[in-house]
This record gives sequence, C-alpha cells and structure tokens, in this order.
Amino acid sequence: MELSSSVLEEITLAGDNAHISDKVFSDLVKHACQGLLSDKNKNSVADEAIFKDTDKGSLKSAYSGIITLLTEATKWDVESSSIGALLEDCKYTTDRINSFNNIYLSKKPLIQILLGSIGKSPPHIVDVDWRLDYYIKNNHLDKVNEPVYLITLKTEVAGQSELQEVQFSCSLEQLQDLVGKLKDSTKCLEKLGQMS
Amino acid sequence: MLLVLEDEHKKHLSFLPSVDIAVVKEFCRISMEFIRKGTNPKVYTSAAQKLGVEANSVQNGVEGLMYLLTEASKLLLSEIDYQDSIMVLGFSEELRSMLLELYIEHSGEIRTILSELSMDLPHYHNLEWRFDVQLASRSLRRQITPQVLFKLHTETYGERKTQVLQTDPVNLVHLTKVLDEALQEMKSPYCRRIVRNIK
Repeated sequence: MELSSSVLEEITLAGDNAHISDKVFSDLVKHACQGLLSDKNKNSVADEAIFKDTDKGSLKSAYSGIITLLTEATKWDVESSSIGALLEDCKYTTDRINSFNNIYLSKKPLIQILLGSIGKSPPHIVDVDWRLDYYIKNNHLDKVNEPVYLITLKTEVAGQSELQEVQFSCSLEQLQDLVGKLKDSTKCLEKLGQMS
Repeated sequence: MLLVLEDEHKKHLSFLPSVDIAVVKEFCRISMEFIRKGTNPKVYTSAAQKLGVEANSVQNGVEGLMYLLTEASKLLLSEIDYQDSIMVLGFSEELRSMLLELYIEHSGEIRTILSELSMDLPHYHNLEWRFDVQLASRSLRRQITPQVLFKLHTETYGERKTQVLQTDPVNLVHLTKVLDEALQEMKSPYCRRIVRNIK
C-alpha cells in the first residue's frame, strides 16, 4: 500500500490531539466507516453534534485521510501490524492505533464486499421461477400435446436496483438437459470444495 | 374424428376422377412439393395445356389436395378416419387407396412443416458452464470469490442467441434444486392424470 504525502498529512492531522481530540477520534473513525459503507451517511459527519467543537477544515481533512486509509488498507488487505506501523509513523498514540484497528477490523468484511461489488460483471442469477404448461394445440396444429416449461431467471445487474429477468421456454427433454448440466457443475463445485 | 369436407372443397376435388390416375399421381407429387416450398402458378398453366383443360381446374385440384393433406395432418387423423372422411367424395377404390398412401407417407412431414409455422417462444438450446475463482479486481486485491459462468444459448424461429450469465455456488445449488423440482412435477399424479385425459 502506498499513500501520497498529502494523504499521509491528512492521516497525521487526524491523529493530532490538537486538531482531533481523543474524545472524538473513535467517533470520527466510526463515521468514516459508515460514510464509506452507505451513501446516505456520506455527509453525516458534518451535522454530528459531537464534532461541534472541532474545526471544520481540520475535520474535513481528517475525515478524508481516514476514508482513504480505510479504502486502501482494505483494497490491499493490509495486516493490522502494518497499519499500526504506518500510524506510528504518523505520530499516533498506541490508544489511537488500537482504537482505529478495532473499529476497522469490525467493518473490514463489509468494506471488502463494497469494494468487491465495484466493476462490471455479467448478470448474476439469484433466483428462478418456473411454470409448467401443457401445450395442446395452435392455429396450425392439433394434438401437439407436450409439456412446456417457462423459465424465468432473476438476475442482479450492477447499477440497477431492480432484479432483471431472463426468460425462455423448455420442452421436457430440454429441461432435463439443462438440469443435467447444472447438476454436473454443482458436482464439480462440491469436489473442488472437498479438495481444499 | 372425421374431417368434414366443405362443398366447395369437394367440388374442387371432383376434378381428379376426370383425369388419368397417372395424372392424379403427378398432382399428388406437385401438392407435396408446394406444401414444402410454396406454390408456383406456372406449373398450373403448363399442366393445363398438356391436359387440354382450364388452368383453374388444375389449380383447384392441386390446392384441394394440399388442403386435404394439411387439414388431415393438422388433426392427426387415423388411417380409418381419413378413409372414412374421403369416402364422401365417391372416388374409385384405386384413387382412394392412392390418396391414403399419400397421406400415410407424408403426414409426418406435413406435421413437421406445420410445427415450424407455429408460434415460437425463445427456447432453450444449450448451456455451457465454467467455474472461475476471482482473485483480484482493480478495487479489491486478494479475493477468492468463486464464480460459475454460464453461456445460455436460446433459439427463436431458428435464430440463435447467446447470453452470458454468472452465479455463485449457493445460488447454483438453489437453481439446480428448484429446476429439478420443476422436472419432477411432470411426473406427479396430478400432471399425469391431466395428460392422460387430454388425448
């Protein structure tokens, strides 16, 4: 993990008791985690009463430094000891380092999910609906008499809040083929799971 | 079940006994050709000239045969029902047996042609899958995210379409389970009873 000097300055500022008091430091880290994880809380630090005695400019810089540290540390999966070393370089007290690491580690899995969801991927299947019809006749043909399945795959697409649908029909033989192939892939997955 | 021939249809077919049986045979061949590839009016005029009759009569005769064959195939008439249905035309036994032969030989093919005309929904054609483990992305290094990628091939009116989809192991197991249940449903006593009763 490499951080630019301006970011390191901001992190140092967040650790400085003269700008960010010991009393509000852990709240700042907590707010930074929440702000990162949810769009709704992005600006919550600005309106929070706990920070009313803190200089707005310092608060902004410190907040930005902490956010960058949280994001980069998660992106590179940095060990807490390395984070500790970095914070020590930024003149953090042991209390502050422990406080930061405790809050960070509790939120790290969530930040990992957030960062993992960035980027494009094919529609992700999350559910499936089916309907079974018996096809009897049409305007050209009587006595067709065969089962038809209508399959709807529900997919999640990045950037869209609603589930999307992929629809197609299957004859009995086609569904047997499809289920056979899905079972093959499930088996392959189970075998790999046992290996590791 | 009998095929009820309309009077106009009977009138059109009544042209057949007036020509030689070999000519009717040729008409039968032409009818099948037209069912497969669509009609060609030029054939009517040239045949009419050879036979010295109106082109209209030839056209009515051939199209009457086509209609007879497609209607009988559409209803999936049994041989006996088919024979009984054409009885009303009052044809000679030779002519009737020829029409029967024609029907037996081609009804399967005609049903296939008719099913191609039928309404088609996008339907399953093939599924390819592969198993990946995502190791890193620009925003997150050191991951181990298992992923199943699918390429779903569907077809509508003979036109292929492919879609790339993905899922995770938990959803894959769920998907397989739900679709397997769907498959079993067809074997349930309820579905079997309904299917038995629709004949």
